[in-house]
Amino acid sequence: MRQLLIYRRLDNAIDRSALREGLPLFVPAVPFGLVIGVAAMASQMPAPGGWLTSVVIFGGASQLATVTLAGAASMWAVILAALVINSRHLMYSAALSATFARQPTWFRALGPFVLIDQVFALMDTKTHLEPAQFRRYYLTIGLFFYLTWILVVSIGMMLGPVIPVSWRLDVAPALMFTGLVVVALDRSPAVCAAVVGGGVAYLGINLPERLGILAGAVAGVTAGGVAEMVKLRRGIQ
Amino acid sequence: MTPIETAVVLGVIAVGTYVARALPILVLAGRVLPVPLQLALRNVGPAVMAALIVVSVSTGAAAPGIQVVEVVAIVVAGIVARWRRNLIWATSAGLMALWIGLWLQ
Repeated sequence: MRQLLIYRRLDNAIDRSALREGLPLFVPAVPFGLVIGVAAMASQMPAPGGWLTSVVIFGGASQLATVTLAGAASMWAVILAALVINSRHLMYSAALSATFARQPTWFRALGPFVLIDQVFALMDTKTHLEPAQFRRYYLTIGLFFYLTWILVVSIGMMLGPVIPVSWRLDVAPALMFTGLVVVALDRSPAVCAAVVGGGVAYLGINLPERLGILAGAVAGVTAGGVAEMVKLRRGIQ
Repeated sequence: MTPIETAVVLGVIAVGTYVARALPILVLAGRVLPVPLQLALRNVGPAVMAALIVVSVSTGAAAPGIQVVEVVAIVVAGIVARWRRNLIWATSAGLMALWIGLWLQ
């Protein structure tokens, strides 16, 4: 009887439409999570630390950068690289801030922890929902992504030691980053940011502590911002 | 990397990431970010990823310096990503190209 009551409460708390709509967005992320798990086992970061990136950071590209650079770059270079990657979440948060203004304080404080790319993509289309409905949908999709992501990365970490070194899966993160970049190159400022970012990083290859990544990132973001500004002005004139 | 360094790295990244995700929600309450900041943030992904690709390939685990097979694999992954707009296809094609390249060497 007690179990039935718990089940009913859980069933009421879950928004099934969120799971239906979220699953197609999660499936493409599965190989990404597996690669992060494999990379975490090859990393110079202790394995529990690699696993904890999923629990405390919960952001694929920044996790991959963290475990890939750990030990190869200085501690602060690893931190800066991950934070620069995750700075884009400021935009997601800003875009949803008006909707969150109608939510209780506890949700405004806890909800953003799971505000990843996929959650934003779904929630940006749900801002018309009533506050309680929005909250139910958000928590369902956020917790679904969070728990399944930890599971997938854990599976990747178990597979990592079994996969032969000759398979050269150390190249997989670079391939995945390539896919992420190319899919994002839908506008000229993005192309400008990628070309400048990659070019400056190449020029800075010999910099200590892999500071070439940060130099490339800063130069690329600046170039992209300038290109956006130029495009905006041309559009207005 | 020592356990203490790992704890510092994870702690700072976790707090910084939470701040990026929560700050506008907690502070802005519907107001918008300054336009120059919005424009700069739009292309963070391409800029950082491109830098990461270049540095990770040129300082690879197998051998220092840029290897031709790795560059070919990345070009193949890029072409397939452009064609299919799908990360799984792109990574799989890149790995296939890498393995064929290594086998031919």
